Amino acid sequence: MSPAPAAALLAALGAAALLADRSAPPAAIALVLLVVCLRARTPRRWVYLAGALLMSGSVFVLSPFLQSAGSHVLWGGPIVPVLGSLDVTREELAMAAMQASRLAALSLAFTAYALLLDHDRLVQAAGFARRSTLAVALATRLLPTLERDAVGMLEALRGRGVALSGVRGRATLVSPLLAGSLERGLNLAEAMEARGYGRPGATRLPRARRTALDAAALAAAVVVLVVGVLWL
Amino acid sequence: MALARLDDLTFSYPDSAARTLGDVTLRIEPGERVVVLGCSGSGKSTLLRTLAGLVPHFHGGRFAGRVEIDGRDTRRERPADLAGTVACVFQDPEDQIVMTRVEAEVAFGLENVGTPPDAIAGLVRRSLASVGAEHLVERRTYELSGGELQRVCLAAALALAPRLLLLDEPTSQLDPGAATAFFELLGELPCAVVCAEQRPARALEWAERVLFLDGGRLELDAPVDEALDWLRVHRPAFLPRVPAAPNEPASGAAVCRLDSVGYEGRVGETSLAVGRGEIVALVGPNGSGKTTLAKLAAGLLEPTSGRVELHGRAAYLSQDPGRYLVRERVEDEVALGSGGDLSRARAALASVGLDGHEHRHPRDLSSGERERLGLACVLVTEPDLLILDEPTRGVDPERKDRLAELLRTERDGRGTLVLTHDLIFAGEVADRLVSLDEVREPALA
Repeated sequence: MSPAPAAALLAALGAAALLADRSAPPAAIALVLLVVCLRARTPRRWVYLAGALLMSGSVFVLSPFLQSAGSHVLWGGPIVPVLGSLDVTREELAMAAMQASRLAALSLAFTAYALLLDHDRLVQAAGFARRSTLAVALATRLLPTLERDAVGMLEALRGRGVALSGVRGRATLVSPLLAGSLERGLNLAEAMEARGYGRPGATRLPRARRTALDAAALAAAVVVLVVGVLWL
Repeated sequence: MALARLDDLTFSYPDSAARTLGDVTLRIEPGERVVVLGCSGSGKSTLLRTLAGLVPHFHGGRFAGRVEIDGRDTRRERPADLAGTVACVFQDPEDQIVMTRVEAEVAFGLENVGTPPDAIAGLVRRSLASVGAEHLVERRTYELSGGELQRVCLAAALALAPRLLLLDEPTSQLDPGAATAFFELLGELPCAVVCAEQRPARALEWAERVLFLDGGRLELDAPVDEALDWLRVHRPAFLPRVPAAPNEPASGAAVCRLDSVGYEGRVGETSLAVGRGEIVALVGPNGSGKTTLAKLAAGLLEPTSGRVELHGRAAYLSQDPGRYLVRERVEDEVALGSGGDLSRARAALASVGLDGHEHRHPRDLSSGERERLGLACVLVTEPDLLILDEPTRGVDPERKDRLAELLRTERDGRGTLVLTHDLIFAGEVADRLVSLDEVREPALA
């Protein structure tokens, strides 16, 4: 499948998950996307999957304590200044499950985009939004680049006899990693400018011809979106 | 008409009182082959950026004088508008890769300058073939080695068929064979080429004209023969040299012994010992597994076969100086390896010529200074085994001589393993020159 129809399908699944007002549809979408993401043959998939799971799990665990809704109290907690009563109700749990499954579906759609799509072909397929697509593609590379830089820095520190341990020790690398990625971004911007980026009259490599699978993916994206708007 | 004209060019970067370039006047004619020499921080990279129009457009700063490329004033034309007439390959190939596939990467510039779509694929293949990298066309850019990336960057520049090609230390990551092939390729190009180099021997054979920058001033602008005479008198370290024979063998007990060591197919069955007081230079082509072997010796990787014996502590200097930029001040960065002892950190900085830079932010250092900072970071740990992976990358010949002298002066009491493509440096510093092919078991070599 070409990357543009695949991206459209992923976007439609993410939108449908956001439009749903019950937890079952986004949970089903998340499950489908999880199976898709597990097909990625890179060890990095576990970083993305752990991130998606951690975020949606945190939303499910924390949000019942942060909202006050419903009358079926399952657990009565203390009253905390600013936050109010920490009661957990059945309605709050249902809402937390829906928010968590929405977030899981969205983050898994992003994971599938980051790990499985050919971003270069996506940029080439983008007509009017080429700049935005390139910006998104470059931003998508930030995570793997940061991960590689972090591994390199830790290795260089070990090579100097310095061992960083624990979350606090590793947290000291956050600032240099971000500074490094800013510097890299500037160097890249300079190289892009020197190669004519932003000049009017740009052309692009001819796109590969659309296949029947591409057409089916585009049709499925439209169907998913319509179903999301009308029935979910 | 000259292809490039610089008249009384003076430039300072923003927030810098010092002039990076001062009163530079020169002409570059179509098809000329020019090499730019000079110490680290002398303004070579800035001169190339000026010719590309990136100075002052991209960097800002104070700019005086006039620069014209193909009759166009660079203050009025954006660098993107000069693309195609000018093409550049910068020092670090990793920082200029935009796309994730080689084909798309080489096509990127062609698309930007409006090449007809049907012609792009053919031009991509032809330019990759011209640098011997046609086989990489479908590869992912993040899977390539430094040497392969450098070829892809050159192919991307050549695809634009520029009239002026600017190269900033293009052979810094290439092995001697690849570097020779690279300059042979440059010799066949019809365009003018301006190449800044820190390994001058091949560049001086290839070039027609030599520029020498010192403190931002153009000290020399002469044909090669005249330039060689001038260098002989004023800057002999920049003269081409014949690799020296290794020094006398040392006889200390082994600090590190690798016995039929292998690692995941990247290093196969290799045996090597480094004695105390001995400096061993390990050479081998790009991608032959030198870095992996060094990491095995340093204990940073566990071998998948064979045995590594290390007597004492090892310190490993990575090829990438960006990995030694963790703290906010240069002296604090070095003191990380000395348990916070600032006096030892300052002594290590002085030994690599960075005294006076103690309070600067590591990211404010030039690339050559960052290389030396990395060296200070490992020297301060006073290791029993010192492993240096390409320690002369981006380092000028005079500084290389001082580095060789420093390593030889301080070699007693530790074993030193230097991985390098720089055979001149290897000959000067090493007691023993070892080719990776020699220490691999024959069946796997």
